[in-house]
Amino acid sequence: MDVAYPVIHWDCLLPVLLTAGGAVLALMWDAFFPRGGRAVIVAITLAALAAALAAALAAPAIPGRAASFGGMYLFDGFTRFVFVVILAASVLAALIAAAQRELDDAPAGEYFGLILFATSGMMLMAATRSLLMIFVGLEVFSLSLYVMAGYLRARPEGNEAALKYFLLGAFASGFLLYGMALVYGATGSIDLAEIAGRLRSNPASGGAAFSLGMGFMVAGLGFKVAAAPFYMWTPDVYEGAPTAAAAFMSVGPKAAAFAAFFRVFLSTEAAGEHIEAVLWVMAALTMTLANLVALRQSRVKRMLAYSSVAHAGYLMVALVASRSSPAPAASGFLYYMLVYAFMNMGAFCVLVALSNEKEGGEARLDDLAGLASLRPGLAAAMAVFMVSLSGLPPTGGFVAKFQVFGAAVKGGYLWLAVIAALNSVVAAFYYLRVVVAMYMREPEGRAAGRRPHPGWSYGAAALLAAAAGALQLGIFPSPALDFAHRSAVFLN
Amino acid sequence: MPGIITATLLLPLSGGLLLVLAPGGGRRGGGARVFALAVSLGALALALALYARFAPGVAGMQFVEEAAWIPALGISYKVGVDGISLPLVMLTAILTPVAVLFSFDDVRRRTRLYYASLLFLETGMLGVFFALDFFLFYVFWEGMLIPMYLIIGIWGGSRRIYAAMKFFLYTMAGSVLMLVAILWLHFAGGVGGFDILAHFENPVDASLQPWLFAAFAASFAVKVPLFPLHTWLPDAHVEAPTAGSVILAGVLLKMGAYGFMRLAMPLFPAAAQEFAGVLMSLAVVGVIYGALMAMVQTDVKKLVAYSSVSHLGFVILGLFSFNLAGASGSVLQMVNHGVSSGALFLIVGFLYARRRTRRIEDFGGLIRVVPALSAVFIITALSSIGLPGLNGFVGEFTILLGVFQRSPWFAALAASGVVLSAVYMLWMLQRVLFGEVRIRANLELPDLSRREWIVVLPMVALMFWIGLYPKPLFDRIEPSAKAWLAQVSRRAPRAADAPAPKGRLPRLARAPKAGGR
Repeated sequence: MDVAYPVIHWDCLLPVLLTAGGAVLALMWDAFFPRGGRAVIVAITLAALAAALAAALAAPAIPGRAASFGGMYLFDGFTRFVFVVILAASVLAALIAAAQRELDDAPAGEYFGLILFATSGMMLMAATRSLLMIFVGLEVFSLSLYVMAGYLRARPEGNEAALKYFLLGAFASGFLLYGMALVYGATGSIDLAEIAGRLRSNPASGGAAFSLGMGFMVAGLGFKVAAAPFYMWTPDVYEGAPTAAAAFMSVGPKAAAFAAFFRVFLSTEAAGEHIEAVLWVMAALTMTLANLVALRQSRVKRMLAYSSVAHAGYLMVALVASRSSPAPAASGFLYYMLVYAFMNMGAFCVLVALSNEKEGGEARLDDLAGLASLRPGLAAAMAVFMVSLSGLPPTGGFVAKFQVFGAAVKGGYLWLAVIAALNSVVAAFYYLRVVVAMYMREPEGRAAGRRPHPGWSYGAAALLAAAAGALQLGIFPSPALDFAHRSAVFLN
Repeated sequence: MPGIITATLLLPLSGGLLLVLAPGGGRRGGGARVFALAVSLGALALALALYARFAPGVAGMQFVEEAAWIPALGISYKVGVDGISLPLVMLTAILTPVAVLFSFDDVRRRTRLYYASLLFLETGMLGVFFALDFFLFYVFWEGMLIPMYLIIGIWGGSRRIYAAMKFFLYTMAGSVLMLVAILWLHFAGGVGGFDILAHFENPVDASLQPWLFAAFAASFAVKVPLFPLHTWLPDAHVEAPTAGSVILAGVLLKMGAYGFMRLAMPLFPAAAQEFAGVLMSLAVVGVIYGALMAMVQTDVKKLVAYSSVSHLGFVILGLFSFNLAGASGSVLQMVNHGVSSGALFLIVGFLYARRRTRRIEDFGGLIRVVPALSAVFIITALSSIGLPGLNGFVGEFTILLGVFQRSPWFAALAASGVVLSAVYMLWMLQRVLFGEVRIRANLELPDLSRREWIVVLPMVALMFWIGLYPKPLFDRIEPSAKAWLAQVSRRAPRAADAPAPKGRLPRLARAPKAGGR
C-alpha cells in the first residue's frame, strides 16, 4: 500500500495561515514588548485579518482545486463567502474591543491573539467536509471564546458567563462528537461526500444508529448556533462577557457552525425527511420563543442576546429550505449572514460606546432615553441597526429576509415563511422600543459623560463601517448579492 | 437624465437627506422649514408638469421608466403613472406643502428631523403610487412607515408612543403577509419576476388566488382601514400632530384602497369576485359603524377620524361593485376624502392652536368670534357630508350609482351612511359654531391669519373645483378605470385549460406534515 502524499493548495490555505500567523505574532509581540504595544497589536490584528481577507478573495475556488488534505480542507465558493463574513466580523470585533474601556487593562496580545485564534478555528470549521475537522475547528474557536467570555475576571457575571459557557459548551461538544462517532459507525466514513454516497448507495446505513448520531450532531451544532431548545446559555453568557466579546460571539460562531450545518445537512439528505422535520420545528421554535422572551427584556444587551437567537431561527429557515432549493437557500443564508454581521455588531458597538461613558453596569433601555438629542450620530446609527434587524426597507436586513423567505417559499415551506414573517413583526416591537427610547423620550438627568475613550476612534470606524454596510446592502444590494449567488456552490 | 417621475421621487428624497445630513447650521430651524417648503413646492411643480403632460384618454401606464436594480432576483426599478394613480399623486403633492406650511408654527422641536420625515414620507407615498415592481412597491410601502412612526411618536400628543407603536405594528403585521404572498406569486405565478404589469397579463391559477388575495387584502384592509381592523386609526389620528393627521387621513389611508385597486383585485380577479360579498359587508359595516362612532365623540379630532372609517368604506364598496361608476367614483372619492378630511384636520389644528383643546364642549358660538374660520369649517364639513356643488357629492353619488347596479341593498345601507354623516357633522357644527359663546376664553380668539388662509385656501378651491367641474379628472380616470374593469372582470384560468405554471408550486400541505404534528 503506498502512502499518497496529500494534495495541498497553499493559496487556498493562505487565509487560515495568515490569521493563525497573526495570532502568534500578536502573542509574541506582547511577550517581547509588554509595555505600550497595544496600538501595534491592534495593527497586527487588523493587518492579519485584512491580508487573510485579500487572500480569501484572491484564492481560486474551482473544481478540482477545492480540496486539500483529501477533503479535510475544502475551499469552495461557499467557503470563500463564509470566510468573508467571518473575517469582516473579526475586523469589527477587533475594532470594538480596541474601543472598549473595560478591556484597556487586559493584556492586548492575549485578547487580540484570542480573536485571531478563534477566527482561524471558525474558518477551519467552515472549510471542510470532514466531520473530524468540523470538531477541531469548533474546539479551536470555542476554547478561545470561553476565555474571552470570562476575560473581566473581577466581574462575578464574567466568571459565571465563562463557567456556564464552558460547561455547557463542553457538554455540547461531547454530544457532537458522540453523534459523529455514531454516524461514522453507521456509514463507515467521516468524509461528508463519502457519507452522502454511502447513504445513497446503501439506504440501510441510514438506520437507527445514523439517526441517533444525527440527532446528537443537531444538538451539538444547535448549541453553537444558539437554536431552540439549546439557546438557554446565550443571554447569560452575552451579558457576562465583555460587550466586545459578546458582539463577536453573536456572529462568528454562528457563521462557522451554520456553514458546517449546511454541509452536514445537505450531504445527509438521502437519509430521509425526518432530520428536516426536526429542523423545521427547531427553526419555528427558535424564532418564536426568542422573540417572545426578548419582548420582556429591559437590558439592551440581553435583548440583543435574544435577538441573536431569533436571527439564528431565521437562518435555520434557510437551512431547512436548502433541501428543496439549495442554491437560493445557500445564497440567502450567505447574504443574511453578511448583513447580520454588520447590523448586529454595529448594535453592540453602540452599547460599547454607552458603557464607556457610564460607570459600571450594562445599558438599560431607560439609559437610552433621549440619546437622539445627546448623541445624534450614535442614535442615528443605532436606529439604522434596529431598523435593519427588524427587516425593514431600505436596509440590508430587509433584502436578507426577502431572500431567506423567498428560498423558503420556493422550497415549499410556506408556513415556515409565514411564521418567520409574523415573527419579524413581533421582533419589530422590541427593536422599535430602542428607537422609542432614543427618539421619543427625553433624556433623564444624566451627569456629563466621562471624557471620551482614547480608543473610541476604532469604535467610530467600526460603527461607520457597520452602518454603511447595513445601508449599502439594503439600497444597492446587487454586488454583494451577485457574489452570494456565485458563491452558493458546494464543491466536493 | 432621469424621467419626470424619477425626478419627482428624487427631489423630496434628496431634500430629506440633505436636512438629515447637513452639518450643524440653522439651530433655530427657520431654515429647515423654508427649505422643506421649497422642496415640497418643487415636487408639486413637477407633479403639475406631470399632470399637464399626462395624455387623457390613454388607459395604460404613461411615463414608464425602467432600470435594472437587482437583476439577480429579477427586480427592477420600474415606475409609471395612469389615470388611477395620477389623482392620488396630485393629492400627495398638494397636501405635503400644505402640511409643511401648517407646521411652521405648530412644530418647534427638532425641526430638521421633522421636516426630513415629512419629505421622506412624501417620497414613500409617491413611490407607492408610482411603483410598477412588487419589490419597489414593498420598499416604499414599508419604508414609509418609519417617517410616519417618527412623526406620530416624536411630535404627537401625550399617548403618542402607544399610538405610534400600534400604528406601526398593525400595518407591519398586514404587510409581512403580503411580502410572503409576493414571493409566492413570484415562484408560483404564471410569470416569474416582480414586474406588476406582467403579472396582470397572466393571472395565477384560480385555486391559488383566494390565499394570495387574502394575504394582500390583509395588508390593505389594515391600511384602509376596514372594520374591524380600524382600531389603530383613531389613536394614531388623535395623537399625531396636525400635519401628520392631514397626511395620514389625506394620503396614507388611500393607499389601502389603492392597493386593492392596483394589486389585489386585478392580480386575483376570481378571488376578488369571490370575496366581494365579504368585503362589501365589512365596508358597509364600517360606513355605518364609523358614522355612529363619530356621532358620540366628544373630541373633534376623533370625530373626524371616525368619519374617515365611514368614508373609506364607500371607496371599498365602489371598488367591489365591479362597474365603471363604482370604480371611477372610488378613485374620485379617494381624492375627495383626502381634500375634505385633510382640510378638516387643518381646521381642528387651527382650533387647537387657539384654545389648546379639541373637546366639542369647550367651544360654542364661534361663528360670531371667528367668522372666516367658521365659514371655511362649514364649507369643509358640507363637502365631507356630500352637499351637491362640492366635491364629496360627486364621488359618493357616483359610487352609490355603481353600488346600486350591483346590489340595491348595499346601496340602501350605504346611503344611510350619507344621512348619518350629515347628522354627526351638522350636530358637531352646531355645537362648535352656533349658539351662545359660553366660555370667556372663546371671546378673544383671533380669526384666520394670513398663513392659515394660504394653508386652507387651496383645499377650499379644490372642493369647489371638483364639485363643480369634475370633468378633467374624470377624463383622466375613466379610460384607466375601464381598462381596470376589463382586467378584474376577466375569468381566471382554471388548472385544466391553462398551460402548467412555470416552476414548482409551493406545497401548502407539506410544511405542517414536516412539522411532525
